[in-house]
Amino acid sequence: MLDVALVALISDMSEQAGVQGIIQYWERVGAQLAKRMGKEAYMGWPSYNVALRERRTAFSIDGDVTALTDLAITDEDGDVVGYIYALKDCVFTNTTLRIRNTVGSLPSADQEVAEEYSTTVRNTAVCNFCVIHQKFWEEAAKNITVADRQLEALPLAQRGFQGQTKIAEAPLKRIGVNPEYIRSLLRNYACVYALVMKGSKGEETGDKEAAEKPKAAKRGG
Amino acid sequence: MADGSGGEEPADKIVENPLVDVAAYLFLEDIADTQGAAGMNNYLISLANSLARSMPEEEYPDWDSFARSLASGNSILSAFEKVKVTGGHAAVTEVCPFRRGYREYIQRVGEFAKIHYEVAEYYNAQVQPSAIDTQCIIHQTFRQAACSRIKVGGKALRFAHLACINYEGKIKQPPDAWLPILLEKAGISMTEMNMLLRSNSAIWILYQDSGAAAPAKP
Repeated sequence: MLDVALVALISDMSEQAGVQGIIQYWERVGAQLAKRMGKEAYMGWPSYNVALRERRTAFSIDGDVTALTDLAITDEDGDVVGYIYALKDCVFTNTTLRIRNTVGSLPSADQEVAEEYSTTVRNTAVCNFCVIHQKFWEEAAKNITVADRQLEALPLAQRGFQGQTKIAEAPLKRIGVNPEYIRSLLRNYACVYALVMKGSKGEETGDKEAAEKPKAAKRGG
Repeated sequence: MADGSGGEEPADKIVENPLVDVAAYLFLEDIADTQGAAGMNNYLISLANSLARSMPEEEYPDWDSFARSLASGNSILSAFEKVKVTGGHAAVTEVCPFRRGYREYIQRVGEFAKIHYEVAEYYNAQVQPSAIDTQCIIHQTFRQAACSRIKVGGKALRFAHLACINYEGKIKQPPDAWLPILLEKAGISMTEMNMLLRSNSAIWILYQDSGAAAPAKP
């Protein structure tokens, strides 16, 4: 009920605070959620992936998350520094369905927020709720260490309620994965992200060299 | 899908995702941080009114057809919760629609933030003494606003809150002076009210100003 109420209010919020205001609100919520869930430490990737499967990690709040263990991300020494993860369903799908059943269509501000976020922050939002979700990933990853190394979350691909897709090219270059392979994952998944050890695959921004000359050979596709 | 995702399920089987639930609570807490208890209270009331306004209005030729719609989940009043009518004009909610989100919150984040209870105290002092926490404010305001969008036999439907019990078993019932009047309006006794609270999360009253259009259904 609360989820539907909040979405019903997005139009009012948009009128009062503008789409940038909503983005700021949602980013605070995502960051606060990660902060309130606390820190985690794992001995290695197997223990993290078991924790995910058993729904013990902060990322388990997403619901059914699949660790694509065939897509381990390695550094130049061949050591595993991350994995790609995929959600069968967007966390927002059920709320969208509940809105359709009770209120009607989503307010236009939903897509306006997504477009603004994709233009001004990162080109990865297919709905307004991606703002909360991706900020949550970003901050939650900072609270997790695997083998004593802090994690970094990279949103890679999203499929929206109406089938629209976003593929984040720059982070895919960083981790050396073919965008077309990730696109094919969207046939079976709604949302794909990577968790990598911070600093192991270049930085998210400003590391053009890492983006242009990926160390690992392209896989997949 | 195990959790009701994907749109293949009947409407009443679709449950929201934990992340959406918990994020919504944290959004409200963020409002309280900037606007205080009074601001959050106003926000919750506005939120619930806005939700009710965004849903279609309803009209029913008579009380029986309204009661059928309510019980089958087709009414705005039963869009988010399973409602049963009992004792003439009393309606009960078996499971609070916020319970799932609340449980996710306490499981993943921790103890429910104190501000949710502080705002309820503000509401109890300023509006009516009927809320245990912020969820009650949204819920009761929504029911009130939803009733104003329903006509039965051409007459407006009225709502009054009777009692509720939270996840931990804390009961909130009206002041002693109000209780006999509300129980009479609901068509149940004090004992029946307490019995209903054993297996339901809230008891509320649906009535119309002129009794002629709303015959009691035992």
